[in-house]
Amino acid sequence: MAIALEVMPTELSMPDSSNAGALVRVDREKESAAQRTKRFERDALQYMNQLYAAALRYTKNPDDAQDLVQDTYAKAYTSFHQFEPGTNLKAWLYRVLTTTFINNYRKDQRRPQTSDSEIEDWQLADAASHTSDQGKSTEDVVLENLPDSDIKRALSEIPEEFRMAVYLADVEGFSYKEIADIVNVPTGTVMSRLHRGRKLLREKLSGYARELGYVKGGAAI
Amino acid sequence: MNNTIPCQQCQESLLVFIDNEIEDSAIFNQMAFHLQECSSCRAQMELERQALNMVRVLLTRACCEIAPESLHERVADQIRELGARELSGFTQTEIITQYRRTEITVDGATQIEIETSHEIRRDFPL
Repeated sequence: MAIALEVMPTELSMPDSSNAGALVRVDREKESAAQRTKRFERDALQYMNQLYAAALRYTKNPDDAQDLVQDTYAKAYTSFHQFEPGTNLKAWLYRVLTTTFINNYRKDQRRPQTSDSEIEDWQLADAASHTSDQGKSTEDVVLENLPDSDIKRALSEIPEEFRMAVYLADVEGFSYKEIADIVNVPTGTVMSRLHRGRKLLREKLSGYARELGYVKGGAAI
Repeated sequence: MNNTIPCQQCQESLLVFIDNEIEDSAIFNQMAFHLQECSSCRAQMELERQALNMVRVLLTRACCEIAPESLHERVADQIRELGARELSGFTQTEIITQYRRTEITVDGATQIEIETSHEIRRDFPL
């Protein structure tokens, strides 16, 4: 098994908003390998479903998502001694997942990164759509009827940077700071990606609703 | 004390306010005060909050895939394997031996002396 150790998260102290796990004091100096393995199994494996769902957002297919989760756990296990007990393990695992994705998967795809000019286009679309904010609450009722497959498709169609910001904030409930640590960008960048991502997602969803005939000309039936 | 901010300033920070991410307590208080006083900004905040909650509900409902049992097994096997290697002291060892070689030539006769000076042993975890 090849484990790339290029951008491994080292001693990360993830701010722990839940404060779970802080009750258990772990002396990493005295802990045996077997004890550490037990602690890893007890604390880290419970996030597998969540990591798998996040991996699906990154890779967009189940086979790669499963490989990504397996690689993530391998890396997390081998660097678990670097994780500071009492800090946010879930956020740490998401960071390992993100790093693993970037190192092992994204570079295979040779995916072009969103360029600055593209971002400007999004900003323009953003500014233009500011004028049509009326009637949201009626539209919400309509969006609620969209099938899950459309929701996932809409999310998968927005650029990765925006998609992951929205996913980490609005599904996983991470704070701006936690997301900044996970994807390794400044908090301000997280904020703008998140707000733009939400807007893009809403536009997509409204578009689908319109196609399905739930909405006519932007207003609810 | 000046606690009033214009509507525009309130609206610019509305999304951050809804996310409960305004760190500066003075700005937070100004926002809260403005929202209390200004029904138009308050109405807009309610719309934004509703819209956000709706998207959250939709996303959480849709993105809740369960990892297949085979993945649980793969990960468990892998941890067992990595753990067993660590427990058995399965390490890669590099031994470096240094020699000193002395060559003395006197009147055509050469004497060579080889002496082991020391060994360096290094253990790497696999």
